[in-house]
Amino acid sequence: MNFIYNKNFIEIKDKDLSELDKFVFDFIKILQKHVKYVIISGYVAILFGRNRSSEDVDIFIEKINQEVLNNLWEELSKDFECINTPNVKDSYGKYLSEGLAIRFAKKNTFIPNIELKFPKVDLDLWTLSESKKVIINKKTLFISPLELEIPYKLFLGSEKDIEDAMHLFNLFKEYIDMEIFNEFNRKLKTEDLFNKYLK
Amino acid sequence: MKTPKIDLKELEKQKKENFKHRLEFNKKYVEWLKKTSNKEWSKQQKKLID
Repeated sequence: MNFIYNKNFIEIKDKDLSELDKFVFDFIKILQKHVKYVIISGYVAILFGRNRSSEDVDIFIEKINQEVLNNLWEELSKDFECINTPNVKDSYGKYLSEGLAIRFAKKNTFIPNIELKFPKVDLDLWTLSESKKVIINKKTLFISPLELEIPYKLFLGSEKDIEDAMHLFNLFKEYIDMEIFNEFNRKLKTEDLFNKYLK
Repeated sequence: MKTPKIDLKELEKQKKENFKHRLEFNKKYVEWLKKTSNKEWSKQQKKLID
């Protein structure tokens, strides 16, 4: 895999986009017009070549009000539908503002879907504020910083998560900020897992 | 770059809640599977997996 990795972005050219990539880019194209976002979890590893698929793509969005959601909803509704509820007021009042996610799939489908949620804890807010820009075939999206994404995958701890962490670490270990990476491993108490599987 | 304070108890709680929500969602997905034709659900699955 050829890529450019610097302080400001990671760039990959000539990627043959998967159906999941196309689905994500279709969604992001609309989402980015309305709200700050960051893609977290499994899709980050998949984006960078991990050989697995996923039914859902997790995204944090900044806390927005009902009106902003209404505008986003309206534009999304041309191609997507919310599979939790058809009602935009409920999606805000009963889901997002209650700390629950709302999911969007292409109309008349169920998978794959995008899971949108508000940040809950400081760590989620940090992920959003420090998101890493990724350019794929000249299209841009924002992902969780790898210095956190990898330790957090270890914290989640399933076999799938550890394999995702290993994939990302092996691919980017020469580029990530090891000081921040080690600090997150200390704070999340994932140092033993790091030493066991990734070192 | 300053990293945030981490409350591990809160994160563990969040992990459990997320798992619970995923299970709830899975129920909803199976309900959808049951009422959707084989042709349709398998088409969506194929598109995702291939």
